[in-house]
Amino acid sequence: MTADSPSNKDLLIADLRLRLADAEETLRAIRENEVDALVMRGPLAEEVFTIGGETDSYRTFMEVMEPGAAALDGSGRVLYANSTLTRLLGTSLAELQGKLLVDAFAADTAKEIGRLLSEAHTTRHSREVRFPRGEEIDLHFIAVASPLQFGTTSGHAVTFANVTERVLHEGAEQSEHAARAVIASANEAVLVCDRNGIITHANAAAGAVYDGNPIGRIFAEIIPLLFHDSAGILQADDMIAMVIAGTPLRGIEATATKAPTVKDYLVSAAPLRIAGDRISGAVVTMVDLSRRKAAEKQQHLLTRELDHRIKNTLALVVSISARTASNTDTVQAFQKAFTGRIQALAATHSLLLASSWSSLKLGDIIRSELAPYIDAAADQVTIEDLNVAITPRAAIAFGLIAHELTTNAAKYGALSQPGGHVAVRALGRDNEKSGAFVLEWRESGGPRVTPPERKGFGHTVIARSLQYSPGGSAEFDFDPSGVACRVSIPAEDIC
Amino acid sequence: MATAKPPRKLILYVAGQTPKSLAAIANLERICAQDLPGQYEVKVIDLRQDPKLAREHGIVAIPTLVRELPVPLRKLIGDLSDTHKVLVNLKLSDSA
Repeated sequence: MTADSPSNKDLLIADLRLRLADAEETLRAIRENEVDALVMRGPLAEEVFTIGGETDSYRTFMEVMEPGAAALDGSGRVLYANSTLTRLLGTSLAELQGKLLVDAFAADTAKEIGRLLSEAHTTRHSREVRFPRGEEIDLHFIAVASPLQFGTTSGHAVTFANVTERVLHEGAEQSEHAARAVIASANEAVLVCDRNGIITHANAAAGAVYDGNPIGRIFAEIIPLLFHDSAGILQADDMIAMVIAGTPLRGIEATATKAPTVKDYLVSAAPLRIAGDRISGAVVTMVDLSRRKAAEKQQHLLTRELDHRIKNTLALVVSISARTASNTDTVQAFQKAFTGRIQALAATHSLLLASSWSSLKLGDIIRSELAPYIDAAADQVTIEDLNVAITPRAAIAFGLIAHELTTNAAKYGALSQPGGHVAVRALGRDNEKSGAFVLEWRESGGPRVTPPERKGFGHTVIARSLQYSPGGSAEFDFDPSGVACRVSIPAEDIC
Repeated sequence: MATAKPPRKLILYVAGQTPKSLAAIANLERICAQDLPGQYEVKVIDLRQDPKLAREHGIVAIPTLVRELPVPLRKLIGDLSDTHKVLVNLKLSDSA
């Protein structure tokens, strides 16, 4: 048997070829940077050497860093993460190693970190990232990624510095600025107290309740309040104590007894909650009620006045009804005369309403009564110097007189035929009647006038309407050429 | 009579947690799960823990993947990031 038989030689060559191929592949892998450790045969046994140095040194360094830190390879896989970061992510180093770092984060945060790593390809970059934590307050970090060489591997060092406190502080500051702006812009007095009832904030409107700088003063001492419905039991300090204990007070009327101008206020107070449920003070708002009180008083007066006027008007209507009934023979005649008189009353009321029941001008009343029959601007009527204002009392009386004079003129007098004319003009003051204002109604160009055989209601209205005062009167003159009537408006009713 | 499937065994030699060792482990896990599910029994040997284990397969560079079974034995050096190269080397065995 020969040692170098062809089959053995072939096997040997094949083995040598295989070893050569292995050696060449090993050399190629080392040259092409595909390995980072080598096994060497030492004097006693094999030893492992890491190319590019041991990893322990950077791991030790990362471990003592305060921020969370991770070493990533070029694909973003975790080579190492310090315990701060693993704690933060609620995982272990064994779980993280070899995994993509972004997979350890929630989707939005992962997207941010992915962007950061791609930005930091050649230079250091940073981004603010948020770790949502469900019910708990989100954590905020400044993530910094820097390109780094770990042995033969290019990758990134990423650190996460916790800036949650700073972000919360900034948020709180912004909230406080917003709150201050809201308080400052309020029209009502707004005062904020701490848990000891000491005023910490006050807006400009608070100057109406305390003349001075209220900051640092005890609310109850500088703004004592008298609560209307509490019979003196509730004081301002009780109010603040109640609110700080968690009971809000809404819309209680109180008098600020020490305010620069003592005024009634509608006071509301609510617990101040800045962080979570803890009450850190009280917010007191005080709405000035003086204008509302004045409006309520005015409304009360108006209601009483309205009641008075309605009663007067109803009495007048009853009187007109009775008088009209006693001077008319048929229901139709009554209806016509009564309706006309009520309409005259209504016309005067309308004029008075338009002037807010202040005063009316004599000329306007006459024009209003003439309107159903004739255009006051027409040739048949002349109104002179009657731009004189009179009180509502006199206006109602004069309105009825004007109605009766107009109706008579249209039915029987100057306005009953073409060519007739009515002149209404001021005659001036009558000193014998305490300065009463006198005007004259004079008809002409109508049918010949004869004194009436009986005095109807119209005559009675004209004669009596203004007799509520010694200065008021109306007298007829049945001149054959035309009716004339001299009306005196009491001086006290001239505005 | 049912024939038993021929045994298939991969051994990955790593050196502790060097970047390429970690990458090789992650890549091998991924390739086995995605492309060769259930086909190989995988064993990871940390030569930093026991360097003399390198002798058996004459390991010099780390990481190295050894396909021990089926024969012939094959070696693949590197972090296994080239999936195609890994699959070509592992699937050659099928014809053998």
